[in-house]
Amino acid sequence: MTALVEGAKRLVGKGSSDVATRVQGLQQAVESARGRLDEATVEETAGVVERSGARLKLSAEHTVVALAGATGSGKSSTFNALTDLDLAAVGVKRPTTSWTMACTWGAEGAADLLDWLGVPPRHQASRSSMLDSPANDDEELRGLVLLDLPDHDSTEVAHHVEVDRLVKLTDVLVWVLDPQKYADAAIHDRYLRPLASHKDVMLVVLNHIDEVPEDRRESMVADLERLLKADGLDGVPLFTTSARHGDGIAELKKELARRVAAKKAVRDRMIADVKDAAQRLQEQSGTAKPGDVARARKSELVDAFADAAGVPTVVHAVDTATRVRARQATGWPVTKWLARLRPDPLRRLHLDLGAGGKELTAGPRSSLPEATLVERARVDTVVRAVADDASEGLAQPWAAAIRHASVSRLDDLNDALDRAVGGTDLGVGRTPVWWKLVRVLQWLLFFVAVAGGLWLAGLAVMGYLQLPDPSTPDYLGLPVPTLMLLGGVVAGVLVALLSRLSAAIGARRRASSADRRLRDAIGEVTEELVIAPIETELDAYRRTRDGLAAALR
Amino acid sequence: MSTPATPTDMITALVRLREALQAAYLPLDLPGVDQRRKDQREMVDQIEDYVLPRLIQIDAPLLTVVGGSTGAGKSTLVNSLVGTRVTEPGVLRPTTRSPVLVHNPVDADWFDKERILPDLARTTGATGDPGALQLVPSDAVPQGLAILDAPDIDSVEEHNRTLAAQLLAAADLWLFVTSAARYADQVPWDYLKAAAERSTAVAIVLDRTASEAIGEVSAHLARMLTTRGLKDSPLFTVAEGNVDGDGLLPPDAVSDIRGWLHSLAADSNARAAVVKQTLEGAIRTLSHHAHDVADASAEQAAMVARLRKDVDRAYDEAVKSVDEASADGTLLRGEVLARWQEFVGTGELLRSLETKVGWIRDRIVGAVKGRPQQVEKVTVAVESGLETLILEHAEDAAEHAHESWSSVEAGRNLLEDSGRDLGRASRDFRARAERAVRDWQRGVLEMVRTEGSDKRSTARVLAFGVNGLAVALMIVVFASTAGMTGAEVGIAGGSAVVGQKLLEAVFGDQAVRRLAANARKDLNRRVTGLLDTERRRYLAVLDDLKVDPKAAENIRSVARRIDDLRFAAHIAPTPAEESSLQMIAPDEVHGERA
Repeated sequence: MTALVEGAKRLVGKGSSDVATRVQGLQQAVESARGRLDEATVEETAGVVERSGARLKLSAEHTVVALAGATGSGKSSTFNALTDLDLAAVGVKRPTTSWTMACTWGAEGAADLLDWLGVPPRHQASRSSMLDSPANDDEELRGLVLLDLPDHDSTEVAHHVEVDRLVKLTDVLVWVLDPQKYADAAIHDRYLRPLASHKDVMLVVLNHIDEVPEDRRESMVADLERLLKADGLDGVPLFTTSARHGDGIAELKKELARRVAAKKAVRDRMIADVKDAAQRLQEQSGTAKPGDVARARKSELVDAFADAAGVPTVVHAVDTATRVRARQATGWPVTKWLARLRPDPLRRLHLDLGAGGKELTAGPRSSLPEATLVERARVDTVVRAVADDASEGLAQPWAAAIRHASVSRLDDLNDALDRAVGGTDLGVGRTPVWWKLVRVLQWLLFFVAVAGGLWLAGLAVMGYLQLPDPSTPDYLGLPVPTLMLLGGVVAGVLVALLSRLSAAIGARRRASSADRRLRDAIGEVTEELVIAPIETELDAYRRTRDGLAAALR
Repeated sequence: MSTPATPTDMITALVRLREALQAAYLPLDLPGVDQRRKDQREMVDQIEDYVLPRLIQIDAPLLTVVGGSTGAGKSTLVNSLVGTRVTEPGVLRPTTRSPVLVHNPVDADWFDKERILPDLARTTGATGDPGALQLVPSDAVPQGLAILDAPDIDSVEEHNRTLAAQLLAAADLWLFVTSAARYADQVPWDYLKAAAERSTAVAIVLDRTASEAIGEVSAHLARMLTTRGLKDSPLFTVAEGNVDGDGLLPPDAVSDIRGWLHSLAADSNARAAVVKQTLEGAIRTLSHHAHDVADASAEQAAMVARLRKDVDRAYDEAVKSVDEASADGTLLRGEVLARWQEFVGTGELLRSLETKVGWIRDRIVGAVKGRPQQVEKVTVAVESGLETLILEHAEDAAEHAHESWSSVEAGRNLLEDSGRDLGRASRDFRARAERAVRDWQRGVLEMVRTEGSDKRSTARVLAFGVNGLAVALMIVVFASTAGMTGAEVGIAGGSAVVGQKLLEAVFGDQAVRRLAANARKDLNRRVTGLLDTERRRYLAVLDDLKVDPKAAENIRSVARRIDDLRFAAHIAPTPAEESSLQMIAPDEVHGERA
């Protein structure tokens, strides 16, 4: 694209970067619209970009003017009259001209341009190389490349193709009409009306005016102006000439000289092309402001995905598992083995395999139930709503592209969700410090109780054996061993109950933190599978829209 | 006069062809359909304007239509031939005015509206109305021949072009006018090619040619005519001369043409030969091109069938998926299963056994705790599960149908023209789905109540509560096809087993099986009904097209009938017939062609 800018800079002074910006904008639009908007239109626009880019690199000193018209309208005669040379064949047999003739005023630098136009050297002539010419009009026409095109309406289809090709490449178009053919559908429907946007770079010549009686000329010109106006070409300069007798040729020449000297034609033609193409693309693409995915919608999406991933099951399992484990750690040693009989729900879901287990399986793979049709249906519904939000107000092709993108990666849904859930640290591996303290305390209390019990048992045995009663210390009026036994048991059960209570609180906290972490992970999955593809399309739309806006500015 | 041996049969066949053609609608935008629509219109016009009138009155005057490009000098030529100014030539292009028909006063009756060109009004004065035909009686025109000045064939005025085509199709003889600047134009040659194809009698007039160029141009034109299959058409030249005050060319300039026309008018055999050549060519081309229209019509029917199949496939798939998903146990996972297990687990089902006191206590407890009854929770879960399922499949089907229609241009245009967003389920579909599911639940409830009312099990039904039993029945329906494959279905099936056992205990296993089957059928019927309403949105678009799949066969059989009649009329149509003009063409014209 830098080459394009340089080319534009060479294309003299003011407004040149303007052309480059427009072409760049159009190119940006084409690149982002490709594969999304109607292929034919996009390719046509790409052709405009390519042509403009190519023309910008070629001589800016030259203005290409083409004489186009029906067979027998006198294009070749006009060409000869303008060049003062008998270069183009003139005849009564139709169609006369079968190839494009070119004549250049001031040949340096024009070779590449003519090459690009596809005019072979044997059909080229240079006005400055002809020594016979008077120098004066050479100077004022310097920089003119005049083309004599074949006809567009004869039975020779190859001629139409050549005309269609060159009409797209030339800077100024001169339509040569004649009194017989000026109202033909072939020229109005196929060329003049579609090119209405190019009226700044068009001239119309009514040739053979000598064949019309003088008193009728005025009304004929008025009639032609009426037809041109109907084509959307009001204001296009209209010349009446008779190439055979030289009438009006001087005026035409002067107008051409003016256009060549102004050096605006290249730019005007290009802007007209670019605007035209951009307009057509915009009709399809639309100008609506791109929609956005609302935060609420995103959290709805995460909810649906989370349900499909079985997050509630996992969270519930975390809660239960924490309680079970807390009970194992902090329960009263006498009864806590009972807790071991209950299965750990997390292990059952294969979510907590421990370090060894994770090494064995290649990746974390849970055995959460797969999303059911109902859950999947809910996911689809929310995804559709998200796509609807994003494509709100956009033109149909873009809405379709967004909808398509939104579901393009949903095939990976189950896998991605499984990985997200399996890869999330649920925070159940940690053993809280207070569990350890309580465990020590519990064993301490247990031993105290056991010690008290043994003591009492010793005392009982001694009593049974009628041994002298050893003095047992007492505390607060109760014998210490009794106090130890009862206190140990009561305190142990009490501590167990208290721990259970606080474990429940902890479990709830852990469950909710697991929930949060899982949802975060799933949020990433929704970003990756749904939001990102949609954003890509929205981005393409934005680029297309901005590009077209730049091209149409 | 060797008209077809049985003209009445041929007329009947052509009337039927016209009807068959008119009945073949070509509304879909298939590739090349524009041309076919145009063919169809032109064929109908030609049958009405020319073929039928000509067949009915084979000895009517020869209609010579002067046609050609704008600015080639048609009007001047007609005026010069007649010798007075009957039509207004103009320098302005295109000239818009009604076409002028010049005829001998004796032949006036032949050209009224009933007979030929029925859709053009008749006037006697010059008007600017291109929908009228101006009749000018003139003694300068020989009896048995009429000259019609047609509008141009190639100007920006589209109406001129259509009218010219229509008039040329109604001609017995074309007098095709071109000029030195025009003779290689594409549009006139398209007409001449068509004329050659259907062996219409054509004479070419090279008009407005500078005298020094006449030799070269007419030689070139003659060569072009020969290479394009019109070597037998006479070629006249009219030099570009000075017109007099009335805009007439000097009589010398047109004497060739006038002489030729007069001799043609005088020789009734030659005239009949011209009529026959053009008429038979027209009929042959009609029956030939009728097959093209028939093909187009068959393509339309095939496309309609394809689009219909796309819709059916999408919605059949949706009905099937919902049906399967509602019976294979998938609905029993997730929310519904959880609620059901709560329902069974909390023992509410079994508590129904208890006395009214228990029931009242439960209600009070429920009210105080602000919690709906467990059975209601199951019902709600079933409702939202089914509803989501149906809704999503309806959306999915709409999207699929939309997608497959969008993949062809015809379908895309239909979608655009329908003015509705068919790619989504209808706006009120959610509401209708909700209602349908609730109706189904009510139906199941009713089923259980009826089953219970006439049995000795009534007491037990009352004891368990109709609601609980209805929910159990739904659960059984949802698991009705769940094979015991995989652990999860096992769980789901296991839950259903509780319901099944309970129902069997109340109604007996025979009745339970029947009830489950009925409930499932009922659900299927409602879902099908719901989705059919959706499907009809698409099908209505297709029905509106009125494409008749039999139209193509109709056209073909009539065309075959016409061919049979043609062959029966004369065993071998010889190519020599195409040169009927040659025998009456003036010698000097031939000389020029060499």
